[in-house]
Amino acid sequence: MSSHFDEMLRTIKDKQWSLADIDWDSPGAETVTDELRAKMTPFMADLVWIEHVGARGFASLAKKAPTPVIEEIYRYFHAEEQKHANAELALMKRWGMLDENDDMPEPNINVKLAIKVLDRYGDSLPLTGLATLIPLLECALDGALVKFLLDEVQDPVCHEVFRHINSDEARHITVDFQVLELIGAGPKHRLLIETIGNLKPQVVLGLIVVFVPLINKMRDNIVALGLPEKKLYNAVKRFATIGGRGEHTRRIPAYHVLKAQAAMIVDRSHPYHRLLADPMVKLTSLIPARLLSKPQSWVDEITHRPVAE
Amino acid sequence: MSLADFRGETLGHQRWRGRDFSGQRVAVIASARETVDIVPELVRTALFVKVFQDRPGWVLPRPVPALGPLRQVAARLHLRLGVSDDWTRRLLTPHPRFGSPHFMVSEDFYAALERPDCKLIAWPIYAITPDGVRTAEGIEHRVDCIVHGETVPLGHDTAVTTKPARQERTA
Repeated sequence: MSSHFDEMLRTIKDKQWSLADIDWDSPGAETVTDELRAKMTPFMADLVWIEHVGARGFASLAKKAPTPVIEEIYRYFHAEEQKHANAELALMKRWGMLDENDDMPEPNINVKLAIKVLDRYGDSLPLTGLATLIPLLECALDGALVKFLLDEVQDPVCHEVFRHINSDEARHITVDFQVLELIGAGPKHRLLIETIGNLKPQVVLGLIVVFVPLINKMRDNIVALGLPEKKLYNAVKRFATIGGRGEHTRRIPAYHVLKAQAAMIVDRSHPYHRLLADPMVKLTSLIPARLLSKPQSWVDEITHRPVAE
Repeated sequence: MSLADFRGETLGHQRWRGRDFSGQRVAVIASARETVDIVPELVRTALFVKVFQDRPGWVLPRPVPALGPLRQVAARLHLRLGVSDDWTRRLLTPHPRFGSPHFMVSEDFYAALERPDCKLIAWPIYAITPDGVRTAEGIEHRVDCIVHGETVPLGHDTAVTTKPARQERTA
């Protein structure tokens, strides 16, 4: 198993790309009409924030990595998610979706809560929790959101950018599940301790107050834009299929919990929405953003500029 | 690793000592131990200093004759008092299990990093281009000069690209 990670780290280093490799002024931006721009701006803003917050998640995973090689892989993934956010912000700029100062769009309250929780608890979360959550989000991102974007937008630069991003994400998903296999193959007592760690009040509360409404709001926004629910269903199925292929992943309780939750999220008729998710979306929308302290400075690291002078 | 394709000046082997970097943007690519020596001197004259460091070490303002755990407490306190930003402090904290166990001594390294004309860049470097340094968050950091240590912390497989950024090709 360790040689897989060594080889993967070499591949990751070989496959690096830069925003400076893309010709951001080449023709194609005109294919994004006013109507499409109005429709896609909130989607792109959500996408950029998912990548940006996902990057922060990998920074926490790096602190918890079981081996130095996996730690280095996570440090690259942290940077790559940031690169994806930067590249998507550059697409937003290309399509005239940013304001006159080219500022990053303001995140909604649920993203702000996620940032707050990651800043406060991210580095103390048990490895199994984050290591299971991240592949689920990446399957959804890769299998549903990005496919939807590429169906809607014909701009060749967008397709070029997402060829790079998809190639990175494929490696992220491979490593994510290899790490789950490694964790699942560990001794039972360690899995038990990790599971108890995942039941800490701040983790459970974080899941209910932050993750549930964050995902539901994005889910509903994207379905309202025209994303077929079937694609979301397929993305979650992929998470279950890849996890099910492994010999040891099924030994991880967090994997089963998140798999069951994901199945409820994609099924809009499930009581999960009526009894938990929808009320949480309403409740969190009442939280005044000024109550949340200023986020840490990683939030400001995002840029659409390929070159820093 | 070769820096030969970088168009600007590259300085290693202590050749940066006593140099005047007025008007220059300088990249520092060195081990943590060398970086704490180089940066405080460079910020005195350089226009801007970009400190590429993804493997930090513990820094003490002066030698502390104490056992390991106490030295780490002192180093944490020095970091807490010396760097105001939470995230930057996190970037400057060695990994709890895989970080370097060694302690370095520098009174003014953190003060140098706090200056507005100095920036810590903790993303992994993946290439040197004719105009600067590319890191894995997808950005090319342009500089006029690269100061590197004896042991440049780039993997043996780090690419040195001579391909100029697209921005420039289309200009």
